[in-house]
Amino acid sequence: MTLLYGLLVGVAMGAFIQRVGASSPAVILRNLRLKDLSVIKFMATTIAISSILSYVLQAGGAAMHFDIKPTYVLGVALGGAIFGVGFALGGYCPGTCVVGIGEGRKDAWAAIAGGVLGAFVFTLVWPIVEPLLIKPLNFGKITIAELLGANPLMVAAVLAVVFLTVVTLLPTRPGRTPTT
Amino acid sequence: MASSAVASHAPAVSSPRRIPPWASLGVLFGVTSALSVLAFGPIGVSGTYPRAVGAVARAVAPDWAAGAPYLVKMGSVVTPESLLVVGLLLGGFLARRLSRSAPPPAVEIVHAAEHRTGTRYLTAFAGGFLILFGARLAGGCTSGHIISGISQLAASSFIFAAAVFGAGMLTAKLLRARA
Repeated sequence: MTLLYGLLVGVAMGAFIQRVGASSPAVILRNLRLKDLSVIKFMATTIAISSILSYVLQAGGAAMHFDIKPTYVLGVALGGAIFGVGFALGGYCPGTCVVGIGEGRKDAWAAIAGGVLGAFVFTLVWPIVEPLLIKPLNFGKITIAELLGANPLMVAAVLAVVFLTVVTLLPTRPGRTPTT
Repeated sequence: MASSAVASHAPAVSSPRRIPPWASLGVLFGVTSALSVLAFGPIGVSGTYPRAVGAVARAVAPDWAAGAPYLVKMGSVVTPESLLVVGLLLGGFLARRLSRSAPPPAVEIVHAAEHRTGTRYLTAFAGGFLILFGARLAGGCTSGHIISGISQLAASSFIFAAAVFGAGMLTAKLLRARA
């Protein structure tokens, strides 16, 4: 049953990504160059709604399958930097290139092929990487609510208000006449 | 006659009350993401790549696969996350098919240096390599770390997002835009 839920979530997510234009490498590059903030605003809105709704559901007694990623500072920061370079070079994410294939983009196949090779090479270097970048400075599965000693629902509410305020105030296409 | 043409034309040009697509799609995706945590777990994509590598390796080189600690750690490819990736393909296909807009270009040139289609395939391939290597090192990608991670207030995901956008914006600045 959870497999079916996975499929349904994927279909919805793929459709949202296609419609907002996030599967277009040109749109991603315009966002990284801050000429067009549509995808950045889309992501911030998603995070705000997802965060507040998740913690409201939990506060309401729902059994949420939270899965907090561990904070190993070196690997997370270096991995993020490598990801950022690849993101700007190819204009794709691991998910948006799959959506791109669905909508008929040929270069998305090259991105997937590169991704499979990247995952394979990571598998080969894992025994070296783990003791060097994953095990040191690993603070475990911590949230900013725990760091602040605050109620997670309160922190999620503040985060949602801040994100939604910022996306409302920022222009979608900086430098042009503000329309949306 | 002329005035009615102007009047019918006006709302299409400036309709400040219209909800922009990023907002409506962001709300829908946010609800989907929270329901995913309720149904099986946070959305995520990049873990499927090594799980798929593991599935192929177990079929063609079972001894090597059993001795590769990362493949053992990542486990079976039969997970809701893998089906989510299949769903992305279907969702992209359906959204495009049901849309009235023009189909996307088969290959989109994004950098000044990509003066030939072949160069574009190379940058897409190199970009794909780096995003998967980086995502696996960090433990997640745009969906798993940034969308799901920050939604769950994970400290690591804030570090990841800062590193991605810092390095991404710098790289985008250094690579010249298409003229």
